[in-house]
Amino acid sequence: MEFALSEADTAFRSDLVGFLDQELADGWNRSEHGLGSAVYTDFSRGFVHTLAAKGWLTPHWPPEYGGGGQGAWQHFVLGEEMWKRGEPRGPQYMNVNWVGPSIIKYGTEEQKKELLPPITRGEVFWCQGFSEPEAGTDLASLRTRADRDGEDYVLNGQKIWTSYANAADYCFLLARTGSVSDGRNGISVFLLPLKTPGVEVRRIDGFVGDHSFNELFLTDVRIPRNCLLGEENKGWDIVRRTLAYERVGAPRYARAALVLDGLADWCRTAGLLTDPGVQEQFGDARALCEAARVLVYRVIDERAKAKEPSPLAYQARAAMVQAERAVGDLALDVMGSEALVEKSPGDAQFRNSLGAGIAAGSYEVQLNLISRLILKLPKE
Amino acid sequence: MDFERSDTQHALLDALGTLLSRHAGTQRCRELAERGAYDHELESELRAAGFLDVFGEDGAGPLEATLAVEQISAELGAITPVPHLLVLPALGLPVPEGPVVLAGRDGSGPVRYGSEARQILTAGADRCVAAELSPDDAEPVPSAYGYPLARVVPRRAEDLAPGTSQTMMNWWRVGVCAEALGMMQRAFDLTVQYAKDRTVFGRALGSFQALQHRLAEVSVLVEGARWLTYEAAFRGATTESSAVAAAHTMAALNRLTRETHQITGAVGLTREHDLHLWTLRLQALRAELGGLRAHRRAVVTSRWEVAAA
Ligand SMILES: Cc1cc2nc3c(=O)[nH]c(=O)nc-3n(C[C@H](O)[C@H](O)[C@H](O)COP(=O)(O)OP(=O)(O)OC[C@H]3O[C@@H](n4cnc5c(N)ncnc54)[C@H](O)[C@@H]3O)c2cc1C
Repeated sequence: MEFALSEADTAFRSDLVGFLDQELADGWNRSEHGLGSAVYTDFSRGFVHTLAAKGWLTPHWPPEYGGGGQGAWQHFVLGEEMWKRGEPRGPQYMNVNWVGPSIIKYGTEEQKKELLPPITRGEVFWCQGFSEPEAGTDLASLRTRADRDGEDYVLNGQKIWTSYANAADYCFLLARTGSVSDGRNGISVFLLPLKTPGVEVRRIDGFVGDHSFNELFLTDVRIPRNCLLGEENKGWDIVRRTLAYERVGAPRYARAALVLDGLADWCRTAGLLTDPGVQEQFGDARALCEAARVLVYRVIDERAKAKEPSPLAYQARAAMVQAERAVGDLALDVMGSEALVEKSPGDAQFRNSLGAGIAAGSYEVQLNLISRLILKLPKE
Repeated sequence: MDFERSDTQHALLDALGTLLSRHAGTQRCRELAERGAYDHELESELRAAGFLDVFGEDGAGPLEATLAVEQISAELGAITPVPHLLVLPALGLPVPEGPVVLAGRDGSGPVRYGSEARQILTAGADRCVAAELSPDDAEPVPSAYGYPLARVVPRRAEDLAPGTSQTMMNWWRVGVCAEALGMMQRAFDLTVQYAKDRTVFGRALGSFQALQHRLAEVSVLVEGARWLTYEAAFRGATTESSAVAAAHTMAALNRLTRETHQITGAVGLTREHDLHLWTLRLQALRAELGGLRAHRRAVVTSRWEVAAA
């Protein structure tokens, strides 16, 4: 056992921190905006160009696809430092973390040539079209259809909760190519350009920070066959494998810990940080953030050793949810009505924490998987 | 970063496991508990095999000593592993024969193995205070919590070097976490097994989602505690890392105690069943160093540099 980063990774972290201090110096406010907000999206478009020029947008990708060939830890340090600043890459983190790597792993040469370079240059946004009105947790019951018609597929159906679809160029979309009774064995992945006729994006207003959800209506959307990723009906495997690590891909505890530091400053100024009760709540929240960090590190260690993704990721995700919630509750408890002021640290954290246990696989699903795969408890 | 045990750690823990299977375990614990006795025999076996020197050893060190404390506690060793393996070596003090007890800054409560203790270390404002003990310095108190307890009033005390108090508190925190980990894991494993074996309404207890989720949450807390503790030991028990580990471990302990006893039903409340051997002892750890509230406040005072409340 060894709980220190290598010298190279530590040096990388300090270079990166210096770079971010400089790039984000004026006016970039770390936790006040939602990832999907207009301010964010505009800022991140410029920012990722600069990052790409440094070779830090896709450092962990293989060199032949525009990556730096760096290891899992460097990639993770990058994610951690970004989330500590409220994720200035905006929605781009998805492209970089898993959309691109999925295409690298399952795509044809043609797909790679066309789709990867714009990602490495930071020129495109992708969104994730998984959820449907009747298929959230129970994703295998999704109904959006893709039917073969000559050399094309024709898509019909509806997606919901699609973050960033209003700004995105492409959607990593799940659709049914088999029958509903095939469950997860009749699902395929499509790489859908959102400009395609028949795609309609409608905004759903939420109250999770500035985060906007969208609905995607697909009416006779005709796309060529080369929009299919991997094999027909094998989409579930792709999702399972490529998303296994992405449960921990966004180090949300890093942002929670940053907010907690900010709240401590606030409480110090307000003369509250010496209050024993307040201290207890801070101590608990800090411990939960740290626990999430070590459990996530454990998963990254597996990845760095090129092991198969293991169920440990579910424990790490559950711990992140606990940490985000603890910081959100603390904010409202200790700041009083100041926490209700829009974009105050308390406000941003609390509203974000409401979605923490729902997005990217709900908290209950993580607990189900821990019970079954780690504790090996019998099925219900 | 490497979360796997090294070859040295495997070898050390295998050897320790063999020794403990002969000189500790539930049977031995029950036997000693009847007499309220300290296990001098186990201590001398550990000493002879070199396990009390691990902290400062070449090729091993504080992390290995922490793992050893965890294992000794899991096997219910009736000794004082934290002072012996962690606190005294961290302070560069010799490890005497027989129990050594630790007392906090405010501490006047009863301590584990107080009646037989040879030495007491008290954390002062800045310096540790060390005192030799004789049996007339101690007053035993009755207790159901798995350790013989006594109030100790030391005489002939001696101040140690400046700064020793913090070092003692930090390693004590890591130590108490390691003890808790060993015992929590056993209590948890036993409960998970029970949930698989016990049938109610024609199905296994562990197939009820309400119980699955509670056990899963406990597993998340215990794993978090585990890696925070190992990391704190690896970092040399900095004030913040050890306070964070203790805050998380003691919170896990509270939840684990409730859930294991609830899920094992009435059988878990009997002497015949082994669960209480771990869970009652765990409550003695819960009380040390001012307990959960003090650990949490210590996180704040070290992380955000505020004066202790
Ligand atoms: C901020 C945010 C961003 C999102 N972004 C996207 C996106 O970009 N793309 C996308 O496709 N989706 C996105 N989602 C949707 C998200 O993936 C779904 O909301 C999630 O999968 C839950 O599905 P649901 O809302 O239909 O809830 P349901 O599936 O109806 O579940 C409701 C509740 O019941 C619980 N539950 C369900 N089944 C079980 C079970 N078997 N055992 C125990 N409890 C159960 C759930 O845990 C949940 O608490 C986003 C969600 C949020 C909050």
